[in-house]
Amino acid sequence: MTGFRAALVRRPYLIAVVLAAILLAVNVVAMPSAAASYWPGLIANLAPLAFVAIASTPSVLGGGIDLSIGPQVVLSNIVIVMVLLPAGIDSPWAVIPIVLALGILIGTINGVLVALLRFPAMIATLCVMFVLIGIAQRLAPQPAGGSTPWIEFLTSRAGLFPIAALVIAVPFAVWLVLRRTSFVRNLLAAGGDPIAATSAGVPVSAVRLLSYTLGGLFASIGGLMLTSLLRSADASQASTLVLIGLAAVALGGTAFTGGRGGLLGSLAGALCIFLIQNLLTALSVPAVWINVIYGLLLVGSVVLSASLLSQKNVRQPV
Amino acid sequence: MTDTAPAAADTTSPTRTHRFTRSLKRYPIVQAAALVVVFLIGVLTLDGFGTGRSITNILITASFLGIAAAGQTLVALVGGIDMSIGAVISASAILTSYLYGGLGWPDVAVFSFVLVFALLLGAANGYIGQRFGANPLIVTLGSGFVAVGLAQVISGGGSDSVKAPEWLGMLSRPVSTTFGLPVPPIVVIWIALIVIVMVMLTSTPFGKRIYATGASANAARLALISVRWVWVLVFGLSSVLAAFAGILLAGFAGSGNTTLGDPYLFLGLAAVIVGGTTLDGRGDYLRTALAALLLVVVQTILVGFGFTNADRQIIFGLLLLVAVAGYIRQPRLRDLI
Repeated sequence: MTGFRAALVRRPYLIAVVLAAILLAVNVVAMPSAAASYWPGLIANLAPLAFVAIASTPSVLGGGIDLSIGPQVVLSNIVIVMVLLPAGIDSPWAVIPIVLALGILIGTINGVLVALLRFPAMIATLCVMFVLIGIAQRLAPQPAGGSTPWIEFLTSRAGLFPIAALVIAVPFAVWLVLRRTSFVRNLLAAGGDPIAATSAGVPVSAVRLLSYTLGGLFASIGGLMLTSLLRSADASQASTLVLIGLAAVALGGTAFTGGRGGLLGSLAGALCIFLIQNLLTALSVPAVWINVIYGLLLVGSVVLSASLLSQKNVRQPV
Repeated sequence: MTDTAPAAADTTSPTRTHRFTRSLKRYPIVQAAALVVVFLIGVLTLDGFGTGRSITNILITASFLGIAAAGQTLVALVGGIDMSIGAVISASAILTSYLYGGLGWPDVAVFSFVLVFALLLGAANGYIGQRFGANPLIVTLGSGFVAVGLAQVISGGGSDSVKAPEWLGMLSRPVSTTFGLPVPPIVVIWIALIVIVMVMLTSTPFGKRIYATGASANAARLALISVRWVWVLVFGLSSVLAAFAGILLAGFAGSGNTTLGDPYLFLGLAAVIVGGTTLDGRGDYLRTALAALLLVVVQTILVGFGFTNADRQIIFGLLLLVAVAGYIRQPRLRDLI
C-alpha cells in the first residue's frame, strides 16, 4: 500500500488512469453488442471535453485558474460557423490559422491581466468569461448550422482509426516539446512556490502569461473539434463547459494549489467523466439520476485522491 | 489569537496620515462612492431612473443577489469557495414548487424540508473539504450536481407545471408593502440579514472564529478553535442562505427549474470580489451587499441604455475589471521576497 501511495504521489494522474480503465472495461461489458465501429466514434465525442480539460491545465499548474476556457472553446466554434464560413473562408489553410491565432490572442489577454496587471486569476478570467459569452451570444443569438467536409473529417475515422485521436495528440506533442525547454519546469516551480521561484531567478510572470496563452491555443483546437461534432454553433453550452473542464482537471490529479499535475491526468479525468456519462446513458439509467451519480463520483474521486496523496491526514491531530 | 486575527489589518499606528488609508481598508468607502456615482449617472442620463418604482425594482433584484452572495462571503472568509450556490438555489426552487404545488405539503413543512436538505448538503461540503483536504472548488461543484440531481429525482423530472405558494411571490412584488413601508418584504428581509450577519461577524465568538480560521487555520487550531466545526457551520450556512434565496426566487418566478440559480453563482462571486472580500480571509458582508447593489444598478443602467443581453455581458465584464483594478491587484512577487 505504501508503495502504491508513493507511486501516486509521484504520478497523481494514475488514479484517473486506473479509474478510466475500470470504467472502460465496465463500458465494454455493459455494451457487449456494440459494433467495433462504435468505439472510434466515442473518441470523437470525447474530443471537446478533452480539450476543455487539457486547455484548463497549464494555468492551474502555474498556480492560477482560467474560468474562461469553456467560453473560449464555444467562441472559436461560433467564429468558425457564424463568421468564417458565411464569409466564404472555408479552406483549412485559412480557417485553422485564424482560429488558432484568435485562441492565442484571448489566452494572451488572460495572461496579461493575470501575470502583468496582477489581477487575481479568478476575477480576471471571470470578467473575460462574461465578455466572451457576450460576444458569443452576439454572433450567434440562436443556434445555427454550418460545416464543411474537412471539419467533419476531424471527427470521422479512417478504417477503425479515429482521426480525433490524432488531433488530441497535438497538445501532447506541443507539451513534449515544451518539456525539452525549461518552460514546464519553470511553470511548475512558479505554481508550487512563486516567491521561492522568483528568488531562484525563474521568470514567474513570463511563464504564467504563457500558460494562459497555451490554454487559449488548446481551447481554440477544442473549438474546431466542437464544430466538427455539432456541425452548428450554439452559445448556450459555455458556462457548463467551464465547470466540467475544471472537474476533469481535478480528477486528473492536478493540484489547484499549483505546481503539480499534467496534461495526461486531465485527459484521463475527461475520459472518466465522459465514460461515466456514456455508461449511465447506455445502462438507461433514468436521466434524473445522472446528475446525482455524476456528482457523487466527482466528490468521491477528489476525496480519494486527496486522502491518498496527502500525508497531512496521517500526521495531523484532529 | 482570536482577538488579533480580524484586526490584523488595523494595528498600524493611528497617526493622522495613516488614518484615511486605514479607513479605506476598514470600511467599504470605495464601493459606497462608486455606488453613489453610478446611481447619479443613471439619474442624470435616464428618464425615470430616480423614481420610487425604479428604485424598488433595483432593490428587489439586489436583494436576491445579496441573499445569494451572503454564503459565498462567509465561505470566502474562511478561505474556501462554494461553487454549489447556483445549484442549491435551483434545487430549492424546484423542491419548493414541487412539494407545495405537486404534493400539497403545508408551507412550513416545505420550508423545513428544503432548509434541512440544504444544511445537510452544505455541512457535508465543509466536512469533506476540511477532513480530507479536498479542494472545496471541486467538492462543491460535485455536491451541486448532487443537489440538482436529488431535486430532479424527488420531483420526478419536470416541475414547470407546479407552482410555488402565491404569498411567497407577494414578498418580492414591486407593489407589495411591509407594515406600511413602501418597500416589498424581501428588501426588509435582506436588510435584516445584513444586520444579522454583520453582528455575527463582528460581535460574536463564532465571527471571531471565522476570521481566525481564514487568517491561518493552523494558528486557529493552536488557539483551540475547531477548524472543522467552523468549516461545517460556514458551508452549511452558505447552502442554507442559498436555499433561502431559492425559496424566494421560486415565489418570484412562480416555479423552479434546473438553471434558475446559475446566474447567481457567477454574479454572487463577482459581488463578493467587487466588495473587496478576498479569498484569504479579509472583508465582511456589508461590502458584498454594497457591491451587489452596485452590480444591479450598473446592469439596470445598461438595460436603460437599450443594450442587448449580449452587449450587456460584454460591457459588464469590462466594467468589472476596471472597477476592481484600483484595489484588488496583487503585490509584485519581487516585493514579497
